[in-house]
Amino acid sequence: MSEWLVILGAGVVTFLTRASFIVFADPQKFPHAFRVALAFVPAAVLAAIVVPGLAMPHEALDLSLANPRLLAGAVAIAVASRVKNPLASIVAGMAALWGLQALAG
Amino acid sequence: MLPNARSEFLAGCRDISPVLVGTVPFGFVAGVAAVGAGMTALEGIALSFIAFSGIAQLVVAQLVAAQAPALVTLGAVLVVSLRFLMYSASFSPHLAHLPARWRVVLAYLMTDQGFAMGMQIYGQPGDRTLRHWHALGAGVTLYVAWQAAVIAGAVAGAQVPAAWSLDFVVTLSFLALLVPALRTRADLAAAVVAGATALVAAGLPYKLALVTASIAGIAAGVAVERAHRK
Repeated sequence: MSEWLVILGAGVVTFLTRASFIVFADPQKFPHAFRVALAFVPAAVLAAIVVPGLAMPHEALDLSLANPRLLAGAVAIAVASRVKNPLASIVAGMAALWGLQALAG
Repeated sequence: MLPNARSEFLAGCRDISPVLVGTVPFGFVAGVAAVGAGMTALEGIALSFIAFSGIAQLVVAQLVAAQAPALVTLGAVLVVSLRFLMYSASFSPHLAHLPARWRVVLAYLMTDQGFAMGMQIYGQPGDRTLRHWHALGAGVTLYVAWQAAVIAGAVAGAQVPAAWSLDFVVTLSFLALLVPALRTRADLAAAVVAGATALVAAGLPYKLALVTASIAGIAAGVAVERAHRK
């Protein structure tokens, strides 16, 4: 039962954030400080997801060269900073991970 | 549908399709994760149809598995959805002239990839009157591909060998969005502080590390921007 409440609640939260300014409000009416802070949301939230995904495989911090996700992530970052198509960095990152895992055998 | 509207719609479908190479495995992972967390396949698929957000779906799966209270789960969903506020604010001037039903549909279909494509399309010179059809084509394409992938993942369940490390597609999908978002020194500060905080705060219960790290990153970005202005 509570799982269905969470499912519906997640739908409400995602829709309201998406619709916030497109449907309901004019961003110009909000204080300047709010809009300045809003500009940093993607960089902060995406980094808070990506960095643990690279540095903490299996829930434990691993900054050594034995962590293939760290190296594969570095490859993906290098590609993403040169090639605009997101597909290129995803493919390069997965290929690097599989290659490193095969090498580690 | 006007002939030009139809060609804009089809152009939207075509232009977004390269992104599906990331979307489809990510959707598959989200479907697998929902079932792996103890949700039924039906619940996982319903979540996907209603929320249509990969990272929100993964957060719900992780917190349902951890048996977190509903409010904690929804708080985490809110934090990962904060970026939609930014997208919504940036996109709204382009859609302000449209009737409410169009704005509701395009808001519902808003995704990281759809937003990036929309801003690119609206940024091009020329006649903008039918570009919402392009956004609709891209959004519908992503929606259909995403749901098909989630259904496949939820039905296949844990059949995929862990050695394929398919979950890494999730990290890479967000990395591919993060890198182009780092345009200024302040953006970089926000990302570095958020990333470092996420590692330090990893021990916090209920994915609170994500909330803490996001707020710390936003504060760092604002601070660097202010220092730069002075």
